[in-house]
Amino acid sequence: MNLYWKLFKASIKSQMEYKAAFLMELLVFMILQALDFLLVAAILLKFDTVGGWNLYEVGCLFAVASMVRSLYRVFANDIHNFEKYTANGEFDQLLTRPVSPLTLLIARGVYWNQIGGFLQGALMLGLCLWGLHGQGVAIGPALLYLPVSLFSGTIIVFSLGLATATIGFWTVRINEFLAFTHYGPLNAASYPLHIYPGWLRGILFTLIPVAFITYVPALYLFDKGGAFWYLIVSPLVALLAMGVTWKFWGFGIKHYHSTGS
Amino acid sequence: MIKATDLTKFYHVSEVKQGRFATLRSFVSGKGRKVPAVSDMSFEIPRGGFVGYIGPNGAGKSTTIKMLTGILHPDGGTVEVAGLSPQKQRKEVARKIGVVFGQRTQLWWDLPTRDSFELLAAMYKVGQQEYDKAMEVYGELLGLHEFLDTPVRKLSLGQRMRADLCAALLHDPDVVFLDEPTIGLDVTAKNRIRSFLKDLNEREQKTILLTTHDMDDIEQLCKQIIIINHGQKVYDGTLESLREMYPLPSVLEVEYHGAVEELLLPNGAQFDPSRGVARISFDKRKTKPLELMERMGQCGEVRDIRVQTPKIEDVISEMYERPQVQLV
Repeated sequence: MNLYWKLFKASIKSQMEYKAAFLMELLVFMILQALDFLLVAAILLKFDTVGGWNLYEVGCLFAVASMVRSLYRVFANDIHNFEKYTANGEFDQLLTRPVSPLTLLIARGVYWNQIGGFLQGALMLGLCLWGLHGQGVAIGPALLYLPVSLFSGTIIVFSLGLATATIGFWTVRINEFLAFTHYGPLNAASYPLHIYPGWLRGILFTLIPVAFITYVPALYLFDKGGAFWYLIVSPLVALLAMGVTWKFWGFGIKHYHSTGS
Repeated sequence: MIKATDLTKFYHVSEVKQGRFATLRSFVSGKGRKVPAVSDMSFEIPRGGFVGYIGPNGAGKSTTIKMLTGILHPDGGTVEVAGLSPQKQRKEVARKIGVVFGQRTQLWWDLPTRDSFELLAAMYKVGQQEYDKAMEVYGELLGLHEFLDTPVRKLSLGQRMRADLCAALLHDPDVVFLDEPTIGLDVTAKNRIRSFLKDLNEREQKTILLTTHDMDDIEQLCKQIIIINHGQKVYDGTLESLREMYPLPSVLEVEYHGAVEELLLPNGAQFDPSRGVARISFDKRKTKPLELMERMGQCGEVRDIRVQTPKIEDVISEMYERPQVQLV
């Protein structure tokens, strides 16, 4: 833990070497996120509901997905950008240390420039919950459940990222896969999942379980026919996903083939 | 200290596709072939050994080092470093070895050099006392004090390499792996690194394995050399015995002053009248240089004598060119 703290401080210090770039990235990221939101808001204002969910309810899904994505990038950006480790053979060095490579990867940096999505998501969530409150919906349970949702959501996204990174031990390149395992699923999870065709829903509930980030608990919290135990299923699925991915990662490392020097 | 037995590693070369989702498609197709990078490599390095691991580019040097350090898992054979398996006991082995990749720094690029040392000390759980001592000794020997507060990205290549060496030694490893530690350095920087390594090996009895393309590294440092070509070991022994096995001719040059009795010169000697120099190649084991000199001395008034022994470069390139001669 002491080591993690030291590495964490070092990463902040490194990033602060480029203050202007840091602030710039943060700003750009927030603007991009805000544009995303405006787009969705425009669509929702036109159609009123998506699959029977109103603007505020969908907004909550969207906001939590955005926060979770951002948390993942803040704490595990090097997992997301794992291609640079496999493609340039940078992973070599991590394997010569008496610490697990995963710890080193996560300790590589806390990327504050990725926090924009979280802030923007939090703001949006606040507005949507306020709106729901105005419609007479009890938002207390949703607020109480938020930390759990952020936790299981981040773990699920992290597991998907780690699994994708693991694939990189064989394929070297992974950025193409991220469309299927990160960007696509997270966008999908920003809307009520029953609007999608059955086969896609099947995938989003099993292989790429982003359904459990918000949609499943929201079914109960927003009284869409969900049961109380839905709230417990999400963190359990997250832990299961983490466990499976962890094993997969350990298996994959043995197949890391480095690069010529 | 290091023991490799029948070490084998294949590379899977997959068919590269073009166009959209190229990676995905070539991954799914699974087409490709297996190419041996290292095959049936066996050797042993005793404690305090200083081994030069040499071979042409792509011969399998780095692949071997990566298997010895636990980065790669061999497809066949076993490795033992300090009595442990780098694959099964990776973390324990990591504590006992220091690794320097000449082409890639292990230091934190944007931080002052000192910060990297402190982070590594924390990572290897080096105590404050040991850390201070290591910094004092190596800092002095490698002359690090002048740039401890400079960010790594601003160091010269020579400084960076010295810092990297220190970083690899902080946790007092028994074995040190150096992959091309002198690459790209100027002569002064190279000499500095070499004398440091020699000292490290002699004084602290550290076992060192280094790969290099610089034959001066080999000649000045290594007690044992292992030569690898096409993934196979082609030589394992001392430099002297390698020279004996590949007896390239030595060359004797005699410079005369005044007239020369060309007819008295030994067979095979070539005389260049314009420079007054006679030149002859000879095999040291058959002909004693002194006898040859005496004979040539009788042909005229000698101004200067030069003997050139074959360079290790020449010996090794001779070896690559005649791979049919199996030495091991």
